[in-house]
Amino acid sequence: MTLIATRPGAGAARPYRFPTVIRRDVAGGRVVAAHLPGQNLAVAVLLLDAGAGREPVGKEGLAGVLAKALEEGTAQRDATAFALAVEGLGTELVTGLDWDSFQVSVQVPVDRLSAAVELLAEAVRTPRLEPDDVRRVRDDEANALRMDWANPGPRADAVLRADLFGRDNRWGRPMHGDPESVGALDVEDVTVFHSEWFIRPGTLVVAGDLDRLDLDALGAAAFAGAGGGPVDRGGPIEVPPRAGRRIILVDRPGSVQSTLRLGHPSPHRAHPEHVPMTLAGTVLGGAFTSRLNHLIREVHGYTYGIRGDFASSRRFGRFAVASGVQTAVTAPALVAAVGEITRTRLTGVTEDELAVARSWRAGQLSVELQSPRAIASALTTLVVHDLPDDYHARLRESLLAADVAQVSAAAAAHLRPESLTLVVEGDAALIRDDLVAAGLGEVTDHTG
Amino acid sequence: MPDSGYPWPIETTRLDNGLRVVVSEDRTAPAVAVNLWYDVGSRHEPAGQTGFAHLFEHLMFEGSINVAKTEHMKLIQGSGGSLNATTNPDRTNYFETVPAEHLELALWLEADRMGGLVPALTQETLDNQRDVVKNERRQRYENVPYGDAWLRLLPLLYPPGHPYHHATIGSMADLNAADLATFQEFHTKYYAPNNAVLTVVGDASAAEVFALADKYFGAIPARADIPAAPDGRSVAATGRAAVETVTTDVPAPRVYVAHRTHPFGTPGNDVTTVLAAVLGSGRGSRLYQRLADGERIAQPDTVGAYGVDLAHAPAPLIVTATARPGVTAERLAAGVAEVVDELATVPVTHAELERAKALLSTAWWRQMSTVDGRADTLGRYATQFGDPAKAAERLPAWLGVTAEQIAETAAEVLGAADRVTLTYLPEETS
Repeated sequence: MTLIATRPGAGAARPYRFPTVIRRDVAGGRVVAAHLPGQNLAVAVLLLDAGAGREPVGKEGLAGVLAKALEEGTAQRDATAFALAVEGLGTELVTGLDWDSFQVSVQVPVDRLSAAVELLAEAVRTPRLEPDDVRRVRDDEANALRMDWANPGPRADAVLRADLFGRDNRWGRPMHGDPESVGALDVEDVTVFHSEWFIRPGTLVVAGDLDRLDLDALGAAAFAGAGGGPVDRGGPIEVPPRAGRRIILVDRPGSVQSTLRLGHPSPHRAHPEHVPMTLAGTVLGGAFTSRLNHLIREVHGYTYGIRGDFASSRRFGRFAVASGVQTAVTAPALVAAVGEITRTRLTGVTEDELAVARSWRAGQLSVELQSPRAIASALTTLVVHDLPDDYHARLRESLLAADVAQVSAAAAAHLRPESLTLVVEGDAALIRDDLVAAGLGEVTDHTG
Repeated sequence: MPDSGYPWPIETTRLDNGLRVVVSEDRTAPAVAVNLWYDVGSRHEPAGQTGFAHLFEHLMFEGSINVAKTEHMKLIQGSGGSLNATTNPDRTNYFETVPAEHLELALWLEADRMGGLVPALTQETLDNQRDVVKNERRQRYENVPYGDAWLRLLPLLYPPGHPYHHATIGSMADLNAADLATFQEFHTKYYAPNNAVLTVVGDASAAEVFALADKYFGAIPARADIPAAPDGRSVAATGRAAVETVTTDVPAPRVYVAHRTHPFGTPGNDVTTVLAAVLGSGRGSRLYQRLADGERIAQPDTVGAYGVDLAHAPAPLIVTATARPGVTAERLAAGVAEVVDELATVPVTHAELERAKALLSTAWWRQMSTVDGRADTLGRYATQFGDPAKAAERLPAWLGVTAEQIAETAAEVLGAADRVTLTYLPEETS
């Protein structure tokens, strides 16, 4: 025998040390930083309370248009000069949006961070927003969404979200808007959103070698000319589960796969059972070794992959499963997926599965301690969700301490297979009869 | 200009069976990256067996002599690790990043599938993973607009029989025809210690890794006569531009312009890398400035140019743009061609060059900012250029490229007679 048959055990565990978090009030804003000694790259993120949740209903995609318009020239230089200045430092302005925040970031060799943050602030605080430029950016953004919506997925996501949360609510519409909502924005929408939300100081997150960075100077640059205080962010939203499961069919003629989006509402981010829910989601669909991926991919070969998880923002959350399956097996794949969700709710998780889930989630915290981008992202979580400096260390402990009873209880309480909305985007003519025959719930065709 | 793009220690050894082991210690985070490069990719596939190297990659996760089916993933994830593998025309790589105390487990798993896969390979596993791969093909290439561009560009760039002529994902017909014996033979032929490089980066010492490598991999026998892929270094110019137009279900006209340049790792490829950044990276690039901003014929988020980092033949440079509403494919294609042609005639300015180099520097350090990024880089240089330390030379080589070299390279390889143009047109809708 040439191979060693015995699986080796683990060596001595290394201590988990999240970098020391520094919080400092500077020039009317807040700087939150982590020291990464010797790291050649540094990241700065300006976090603004201007997430999708701040957009008025009917104006979805507003923050995204503003994000692009920021680079169309500033008080000091035109669009081309701005692009050359930023890219000459080796970075681009990276913008990001979620329900709770708007983020603009730069990533550069550490000695260029100060210059990069000055340019970032110039774009965020003093964009020209010339009406012609704003209209062109809006049209380009509507086009970009049209391109994206030609792919399978965005339509199904939107249909699921609307069914879960209602189109009357901002959170019942797509986070980034749709081609129509963006196309209907006008210049004033953009300038008003800017003056309402982009002048407030916000928080500057910095991850890098702090021996080579001056946090006070970075803060002063980021918050220069900013003003206004925080605005109430609203409390958690209770969304009642639907009575009865339903299938919504979104036609995509000629599709060789059916895109599946299954979901129901779930608790918000600060819910006390956040950790056991996360672990229940991991066992069910959050990892390659999860129940869903094992059954649908590894046993049946219906798909390249299937994932499911609980996701949450400050005010609401949802459980969702996403996959693309071969057209001919759409109905059996749905039956199998709903079956695994039901089984997990009814019988909970096993110690064997939970052991994998908890050590995976905990171990990922160690693996993610490397790049400035990952550390900045971890700091962002602290800021957006009002969490303490030792949050990641404590999270690691609570992940490792979660037991089968807790996680099974969370699965029982927060999985609602009987209330699922099953959105299927595929070739309706080929799959409708099978879906009806599957008996999973009433089948309706999405119109529009 | 930095003297080195790799300011960390590198130590190497070679086991008696030919396995090369590369270690780069860095104690910053309590994590370690394990990476194996096998010098086999889709360029080794004969006609009728396209897609086999990649399908084989899938089989490597399905159990080996001491590892039950599904156990590999479970053990890595159960120790907090991330893992994956990729196949391209040149090579197949397998990698995991784990909390440092699980290094030995990762090495045991890799050794077991290097030395003990064949006895565990079953027809059932092959059938299942064939279905998974066919779904991967549907999901990535067939069910998305423009998804098959790469499948169409390769045969236009490389003639039949060339190792890069076919795409790594393979054809449905060949995948359907795959039989178990072929895969057993594939492993026997190529998955040998003397055809692989093991790289470990992170919270571990070289002495520790060398000892563990010897313990777990040391008894796996070397193989003689590992067959080489066909030589693709010289591709005869046809002297005629290749043009293909596809009318299909896409939301807007899109143009791809492609050229064969120089193999990755050569000075000509370094010039092409900087050239591609001047041409297509960011809002300050020529394509963006001319087509998205200036003439406004291209959608801003869709313009780009990138070199593909293949090392065994002249590597492709791909340039692409998508039309704004009301702009025809002809006008867009002419605009793209003009900007590409001007690389040979309109000198690149100092500001353009510095912008491109700054972006490339950040991209390099971003790759170096994680242990897995570093491990894959070292594995590549050891496999393709015989020495992981050569990784340190890449960034300085990019930063040394001059405007004159860009004009020369453009004149040499971006000529209209060597051009591939692939155009997508939306179907007429009533």
